Order: sequence, then C-alpha cells, then structure tokens
Amino acid sequence: MSTKKNTELEEFEPNIIGFLCSWCSYAGADLAGTSRIQYPPNVKIIKVMCSGRVNPMYIINAFQQGADGVLVSGCHPGDCHYTHGNYLARRRVATMKKLLEFLGIEPERVRMTWVSAAEGRKYADVVREVTEDIKKLGPMTKIRREKEW
Amino acid sequence: MVENKELIKVVEETVSRDDVKYVIGYKRGTYGFQIKPAFAYSAEDAKEFFYSPLCSKNLATYPLLEEKLPLRRGEEAEHKKIGIVVKGCDSRAIIQIIQEKGLEKEDVVLIGIPCKGVIDPKKIAKRFPKQSKFVDVEENNNDEYILEIGGTSHKIPKDELLSDVCKSCEYPNPPLYDILIGEAEEEFQPEHFNRVDELEEKTIEKRWEYWEKHFQNCIRCYACREACPLCYCKTCMADLLEPQWIRRSVNLSENTAWNVMRAFHLAGRCISCGECERSCPVNIPLMELNKFVEKEVKEMFDYTAGLDTEEKPFLGSFRPDDPEDFIS
Repeated sequence: MSTKKNTELEEFEPNIIGFLCSWCSYAGADLAGTSRIQYPPNVKIIKVMCSGRVNPMYIINAFQQGADGVLVSGCHPGDCHYTHGNYLARRRVATMKKLLEFLGIEPERVRMTWVSAAEGRKYADVVREVTEDIKKLGPMTKIRREKEW
Repeated sequence: MVENKELIKVVEETVSRDDVKYVIGYKRGTYGFQIKPAFAYSAEDAKEFFYSPLCSKNLATYPLLEEKLPLRRGEEAEHKKIGIVVKGCDSRAIIQIIQEKGLEKEDVVLIGIPCKGVIDPKKIAKRFPKQSKFVDVEENNNDEYILEIGGTSHKIPKDELLSDVCKSCEYPNPPLYDILIGEAEEEFQPEHFNRVDELEEKTIEKRWEYWEKHFQNCIRCYACREACPLCYCKTCMADLLEPQWIRRSVNLSENTAWNVMRAFHLAGRCISCGECERSCPVNIPLMELNKFVEKEVKEMFDYTAGLDTEEKPFLGSFRPDDPEDFIS
C-alpha cells in the first residue's frame, strides 16, 4: 500500500483500513453507497467473511504498512452468520486495545463497531467519526515499516 | 525444603514403573550457577537429580518436544508416560497445555515440588561473576540464601536474588501433581507486581519511549519463544513465509510486531513463570507485558489461566455479557 505524502500545507488525510464482515457491515457499507449517503473516502475496505476472522495481527500489520487507523466492524451480537464469531472478535479486540495502550500506541486508532446490513446511515456516521478522530491523532508512524526499496 | 534424597528416591521409583518412559528433572551444571535438565531412563540415571533454588528452568517445555516418528503399517504408537519434576508454575503450565489438548493427563506423571521461589540467574551471575565451578545454593529458614565460594561462605538476603515474578507468585504449590515431595508450602501473601503499575502511571508518550528503547534492542533470537512452555505451535507465525506476518529484518517495526504478537498469543495463557524474561539476552522486561495482559484478562473477563484442565481456552470462548463499552 502506498502512503500518501502530505506536505505541511495540505490537510492530513488519514489512511484507515476497515475490516468489514461480509454479511452485515459490508452490506451496510453497500447500502450507504446505494442510498447515496455522503461520507469521507478515507476508509479502505477489506471484506472478511466474519469479524471473528480478524486476527489481531491484521491490525498490527495494517499499522506497519502505513495505516493510521483500523476499523473492525461486524454484525450485532446474536446476529452473526456463524452464530458467535463476533463475540470472539470482541474479546480479541478488547484485549488488543488494552495491550496497545500499554505499549504507548493510542488505543483510539483501533475502533470496533457493530453495523447491520440495514444500517447504511450508521455506517456513514461511523466512518465520519473515525476519520475525524484519527485526523485529530495525526499520522501513525511509530511502528511503520521503513521503505523497503 | 526439598530433600534431594527424597527426590532421588521418588524419581527412581517413578522411572522403574513399567508405564514410564523417562523422567525429566534438574542436574548440576558444569560452571557458575548453571543447572541442566536431566533425563533419567533408568534408576541409575536418577542419582544425579537434585533440586535447589537455582532450578529456575520450566521443564514443561520438554514433553512437547518429544519426536513422534511416523509408524509402519500395523505398528502401534508406544503409549508411555513422561515424568516431570514440576514447581508451582510448571504445574500450571502443564494444566494449561492439557486444557488446550496439547497433552493428555495420561501422558505425564507429575512429581510436584513445593517452591519457595527461584533465583534469577542474571542477578546471581552479576553478584558472583566468573565462577569456573558449579556452586550450589541453599536456603535457610531466615529467608537467606547460603552459598560457599572458594572456602568462604556467603549469606545473602533472599530478596536480593529472588526472581521478580516469584515475589508475586500466587501458586507456590503445584495445583496438579501425582506425587508431592516434602510438605506443601504455607500460604504466603504475594506481593503486587508493581512494575506494571509504575508503567501505567506514565503518559502514553513516555510508555512508548520506554518500549521503543527496549524493542530497539531486540535481536529477535526468539529465546523468549523457545523458553516458554506455552509457545509450542509446530509452525510459529513468526517463521511463516506465506503469508509472511513478520519480516526477517531486525528493526523497530518488526520487533514491535513480534513482541505484540508474542504477548497477545499468551493472553489468558501465560502462567507467569518468568522464563521469557530470564532467557532474554537483551533484558527486555517481557513479564511486564505478560503481567499486564494477565491483569486485564482477570479484570475484564474474570479468567485465570492454568488452574482447571476442563476450562475452555480464553480466546476460544466467550460470554454474551463480555464488556463492550469500547464498541459504539
């Protein structure tokens, strides 16, 4: 992934990676699009089959490769297509956020939400909030990989 | 106090059993304060076994390294037990491994040792450097260690040499054992592991400065992984090439990724034996990470690792009422 060079004059545009579950949140994002709701273009979506598929290493790897924030989104509790994948994800992200905070990486950079397939409006709101939060935090350079070539 | 005679007798009896393949314990090393793992295949081998506060190594790592050769057609696998000498934390490691189905309870015979805490090899080597012969250390009833070097006897207060994690040990007696040597230790009030609190009080920038300094030193020798009784995956994520989670280059980014990964994989599994920290050649305070995660897991999910073989693994289970105040 390429990291956009920002000159000081330009406003900082964060790179946010969104891991959206295939059954609820991705469909929710789709609905936001088809309903023509305006929202910032900073979240780059990666579709995963379930939020329980999101290995916490995905989050670390995203930061290494230039992301400024990570959004993990799944079905509401009880609605998971695989019955309990989102419950497992919730434990993992909760622990990971605590660990990141202890290491000195702002835990606000990792965000978890529940967005169902009918909540296009909520998805747009979430993206707006996340983008604003991370704009305030500034770029994440602590564990970014150096240029490799 | 564990009598060596009693230990040897128990090991001899255990290894003579028909269903036991060998017994793993400790023997004296060749120099300094080093101890070695000892493997007794017969009653004769048991004579070199000993136990002293120097025996810090966690032997629960060994049964999982047992090679399982492919079988010929019609051949049946040999079902023989492995005997292990375990302290409190080693026993909890075995419980955790059994809970994760890495071992069966029937695979092992646990020779439990009530532990009064072990000496940090780094601390004692710093205090008495360059010993060319093995020096044994004994503990007396006044919380002092007694050791004899070159004819002179030294008395050192226990606090100065004791491993940091042992001060906050909650389970000095093995929770799971087949044979217990000596008498169980009395319950004592564990100290709080205050190194975590000190860090938590700092600001987020200070904390990152602290870890940045340490992670920059990491040489990624993976000694922490090898020493850990619970890092027993056949293929570690750090060694995978496809997908390559962590690049081979040694720099801050990859070192942080490795250390976060290691700490996270031990979430709800670490039994705080302190082996990672003691084995680290560049003195990264890894137990601070482990103890922090242990504390958070206990606070948020009321889960303690390594106490019940029937419990479900922490990251493989959930409760519908888990905290979700961070989710909007």
